[in-house]
Amino acid sequence: MATKLSTNTKQISGLLTGIRNTRWLDREGPLGYLMISPAFLFLAFMLAYPFAISIYLSLTDKRLGADPQFIAWDNFAILFNTSRFWKTVTNSLVYTVGSLLLKFLGGLAVAQLLNREFIGKRLATAILLLPWIIPTVFSTLAWWWMLDPANSIINVMLKRWGLIQNNLPFLTDPAWAMGSLIILNTWRGVPFFAITFLAAIQTVPDELIDASKIDGANEWKRFWSVIFPLIVPVVVIVILISTIGTISDFELPYLLTKGGPRDATMVFGILTFDYSMNVGRVGLGAAVSLTMLPALALLVVLSLVELRRQT
Amino acid sequence: MRVSRLRRILQLLLVPYLPLTLLLLAMLFPFYWMVLTSLKTLGEVFDYVTMPLWVLKPTLSNYTYLFEKIQFGRWYLNSIWITVLTTVFSLVVSVLAGYAIARLKFRGATLIGVLVFITYLVPKTLLFIPVAQVLNNVGMLGNLNALALAYPSFLIPFCTWLLTGYFRTIPIDPEECAMVDGCSRFGAAMRITLPMAVPGILTAAIFAFTLSWNELLYALVFVTGESNKTLPVGLINSLAQRDFFNWGPLMAGATLASIPVAILYFFFMDRFVGGLTAGAVKG
Repeated sequence: MATKLSTNTKQISGLLTGIRNTRWLDREGPLGYLMISPAFLFLAFMLAYPFAISIYLSLTDKRLGADPQFIAWDNFAILFNTSRFWKTVTNSLVYTVGSLLLKFLGGLAVAQLLNREFIGKRLATAILLLPWIIPTVFSTLAWWWMLDPANSIINVMLKRWGLIQNNLPFLTDPAWAMGSLIILNTWRGVPFFAITFLAAIQTVPDELIDASKIDGANEWKRFWSVIFPLIVPVVVIVILISTIGTISDFELPYLLTKGGPRDATMVFGILTFDYSMNVGRVGLGAAVSLTMLPALALLVVLSLVELRRQT
Repeated sequence: MRVSRLRRILQLLLVPYLPLTLLLLAMLFPFYWMVLTSLKTLGEVFDYVTMPLWVLKPTLSNYTYLFEKIQFGRWYLNSIWITVLTTVFSLVVSVLAGYAIARLKFRGATLIGVLVFITYLVPKTLLFIPVAQVLNNVGMLGNLNALALAYPSFLIPFCTWLLTGYFRTIPIDPEECAMVDGCSRFGAAMRITLPMAVPGILTAAIFAFTLSWNELLYALVFVTGESNKTLPVGLINSLAQRDFFNWGPLMAGATLASIPVAILYFFFMDRFVGGLTAGAVKG
């Protein structure tokens, strides 16, 4: 009865929209374009147009406060012959792959840990999400203080407990600095990965899990053979989108290491900033940021394909 | 019977409580350390002998320092102004766009949906140089209000993306009924569907607020002058880039700056989790 009624109203409303089509704004086409136009115009001016400018600047020798001269591919030629640029490429790769791997594994482990009923689950979830909720800039300041070369509380406590003799060089040694950056990125990202994975795990039908219990599979085997294959679509999307954010990250490295020591944590975002703002070579900076484009475009296309496949 | 109960408790301690406690300690410690340092006197900040993990003589002097020695109050107001302005503006624009993409049939609707997703993924690192150029051309580079123009360029794609998804989950029947009763297409959207979309709009608002409040790169590049700064830039520039690091005031500032988002989180935790699992957020 209810469904019949609703099909009836649909027919009637279809009829009525047909009649009222004379009213311009009631037609979906014009109304659609009208409603989309503020967003479209704004993004055309503040996103698409700047993007075009960026490509133009990368082909000029633009410096801060000077007029640009067209120099074609010279900026890219300069970059590709600079070891600092290749170091940036390697660092960005290490930073991205390292962080993503830890966030993926940590996210799965934490999701599985939370995928059971226990007292205090809501409180635990609330606390778990804090690193991701509290603005990165401010929590990174706390980390910076925690890892400070001379006053790190971690070193203070480890020495107090007699576990180390000398300070650990969290931000002063090249390898340690990259490690610290990856750990910080993981600390901030794991809550997001875990909660997203958990939501996906909870959509896995109970029957499948029960069936595998009857088959005698243990929890480890059950996770990898039953649950994981079913959450792969979510995992893929989360990883793709997070990779885009990590490869182009600016905030964490800027606040924690500024690319140092000796360029050990120099990534695309910092090099772009350094060339354009500190050195004043805006054209070269634009060129650095555009060298990310092939990787970014690939990731965006993969995300699009994956999303379309899923819906 | 008693033995098995003991075993059950031990098992619970092993999974999940033991690993969970360690995990939550690691998640919380930086915040604990931040607040603790903000309550310490200068002497206590650098005292590693007595009790580094506790505060013996709590003081609010680091907090008063922020308002007396540097323009922290001014930066706070700047941040609130920019955040509220850009959040409201982006939401209005995004509600319109999101509704149109989700509900209305017009040529190019799908393409525009795809474009929104692409613009959402474009990182700020790629855009700050040319956007500075654009702001310079319109004579706004250096002003605080340059940010009002810049922030919606990442907030609108984000909110539109999230809201499009939300509008798709709202049934269309009530809207059609309203049109039968004489509402116009736009009127039905505003009067019927918009109220039903409030949870989605709230989620978008909370995330937009947080993204704006947290923004560093644009605020660093586009704004000049001490009294124009937002909280992140003000804190970093005034307290962290001198030879002597003012850790106490810096941590006090970070604590105060985190509070608005913490309050939002306290009241709207479910909205945060909902938006997060809607798959609309960069991790």
